[in-house]
Amino acid sequence: MQELVGRLTALDPEASETLKVVAYFDALVAAGVGLDGLLRAAAALSGAVAGAQRGVRVSRYDAVGRRLDATADFTPPPGRVAERIRVWLERDGAPHANDEMVVERLALAVELQQRHRSPDSGLDIAVDPSRSTDERSSALARLRISAGERIRLVATSVNEAPPGAPSTIVPTRYGLLRATVDTSGGLPPRRRSGLGTWVRADHAPDSWGAAVVAYRLTDKADPIVDATDLGAMLILARSYDPEVPHEDVTRLARCDAVESAVLRALVEADSIRSAATRLGMHHSSVQARHEALTRELGYDPRTPIGRMRYVAAALLLRLSDPQSTNS
Amino acid sequence: MPTTMIPRPPFDPELDAILTLVSDQLPHLTLDTIQEFRALGINPLELTAEKLDEAGVTRRDLTIEGFQGADMLVSVLARADHTGNGPGIYHIHGGGMITGDRLLGPLSMLSWIVDHDAVLVTAEYRLAPEFPDPYPVEDCYAGLVWTAEHAEELGVDPDRIIIAGASAGGGLAAGTALLARDRKGPRLVGQMLICPMLDDRDESVSTLQYDAGTWTRKHNRVGWDALLGDRRGTPDVSIYAAPARATDLSGLPPAFIDCGSAEVFRDEDVAYATALWQAGVQAELHVWAGGFHGFDMLAAHTAVGQASIAARDNWAARLLGS
Repeated sequence: MQELVGRLTALDPEASETLKVVAYFDALVAAGVGLDGLLRAAAALSGAVAGAQRGVRVSRYDAVGRRLDATADFTPPPGRVAERIRVWLERDGAPHANDEMVVERLALAVELQQRHRSPDSGLDIAVDPSRSTDERSSALARLRISAGERIRLVATSVNEAPPGAPSTIVPTRYGLLRATVDTSGGLPPRRRSGLGTWVRADHAPDSWGAAVVAYRLTDKADPIVDATDLGAMLILARSYDPEVPHEDVTRLARCDAVESAVLRALVEADSIRSAATRLGMHHSSVQARHEALTRELGYDPRTPIGRMRYVAAALLLRLSDPQSTNS
Repeated sequence: MPTTMIPRPPFDPELDAILTLVSDQLPHLTLDTIQEFRALGINPLELTAEKLDEAGVTRRDLTIEGFQGADMLVSVLARADHTGNGPGIYHIHGGGMITGDRLLGPLSMLSWIVDHDAVLVTAEYRLAPEFPDPYPVEDCYAGLVWTAEHAEELGVDPDRIIIAGASAGGGLAAGTALLARDRKGPRLVGQMLICPMLDDRDESVSTLQYDAGTWTRKHNRVGWDALLGDRRGTPDVSIYAAPARATDLSGLPPAFIDCGSAEVFRDEDVAYATALWQAGVQAELHVWAGGFHGFDMLAAHTAVGQASIAARDNWAARLLGS
């Protein structure tokens, strides 16, 4: 049986299987699919039986979605544990390349699904802009945070271990991210973090939105980005929907590495000559490139307004670049 | 991304996740990109030699006479140990009238061949836009006639033939059933119309609701434009090309119709079932909550996918089982 991810990837052979698996589970979680649906998905993805054990209850599904019985003496493979639920894949013979990743993502999805169900979880409600102020205030109360308290949210990768502070996994338009509440500013640093704006606790969704934007702007050079440092650019970043890209962004995205480097130098340098020096290129080459870029972009990036357009587009491009949600 | 403001039934959560995964991979379908679409050869349920072997089913390819005597390929699928006469399934593939081939679809019916010792004939009818209406439906009718005339050598009981198809195949099956009624033969004992494409007029509420999903309003217009050209949406369209236009459905064979609540074809499929009942014809209708077009093929492992397949298999067993 051709595994589901293989069949779906056949439509786009260049897409990595990892991305497909991650995207599929993210979508399942975002759609609110329950444990049985998650198991069916894991089974179909891998072409194997997927199972879960909660206490004494065992659920197993095969790759076509049929529920299988579990006999009393059935011993599940170790798999992974999430929120006291063990999940696994069953396969005769050697595991397939994607199996471990599928189990990992399944466990992550189960964790998130369970947290949404659990009456104790509050943080995911507290950062959810679609919930009413009352619902969010109740959720904060469960976390022993008062509505007027000053907090900020911190966004990190889901692969980071949960910190001491209240944290939860949240589906975002960029995939699953971990949200942690910071009440003191004293959270231990993580490998990559987006720091949200400081807000009243009952405005937590604003801080979380800012934290997500900040996280997207982290890279090796800037592993920790504070949304507050973006100043008014945060307004622009927040209002942008990467699914409906602006033409300035799509045109900028088409520049190759050389064009991007030249463009950046042109914008930052005082003159074409100093840009050329910085790039180690001949003045007339840079001149020619400037003219070509002006045509391609539809504006001159060396004019005051052109510089603004470039900076804005470059920021928004960073928010729309396809990127592994595992980063 | 959906741009419509009309409220619409949402997709089932398990199906929603599948759509998220595939929707940005489906290439843009316009009249100009039909060739590109065909070249992809998308078949979510490929009928491979392994699958046939596993099921103990053989395949024979034959050339028969299509419309106006043109050569037409058919494949015949039957149990390797098939003897005597069994029920016949005349299968018409889908693909919006413009894509697909005869091996797209029969995998779903493999269990009927095995369980009921049925013989399945699937036809390679000519596609639009190169062969606009009436070529597709007339090729399909010619294939049905051939099946009935060669029933004995195929091991088919001519009094137990059903016609079946999905999407455009469902529409062509309905159209062929109408032809068979009006031309007084061949006899059909059932018509299985899986999310059938029946109506060129592009006016129903469900048509307006779904600019997202696997077969959108835009795709639908491309298919119908290719089939009918300027005639689309005008009075100059026959009931065999667009069965939704038929006002008299009496005398048709018992029907099974299914669709999703979240697809373009929902309203025309429900309307067709209603019109069948009003004409005194037996019909069974299933509208699956949150189903997008073709969810049973693309997402068979989901709860609603399973349910839709089970319902189809159950109806087939009632009709084909002895």
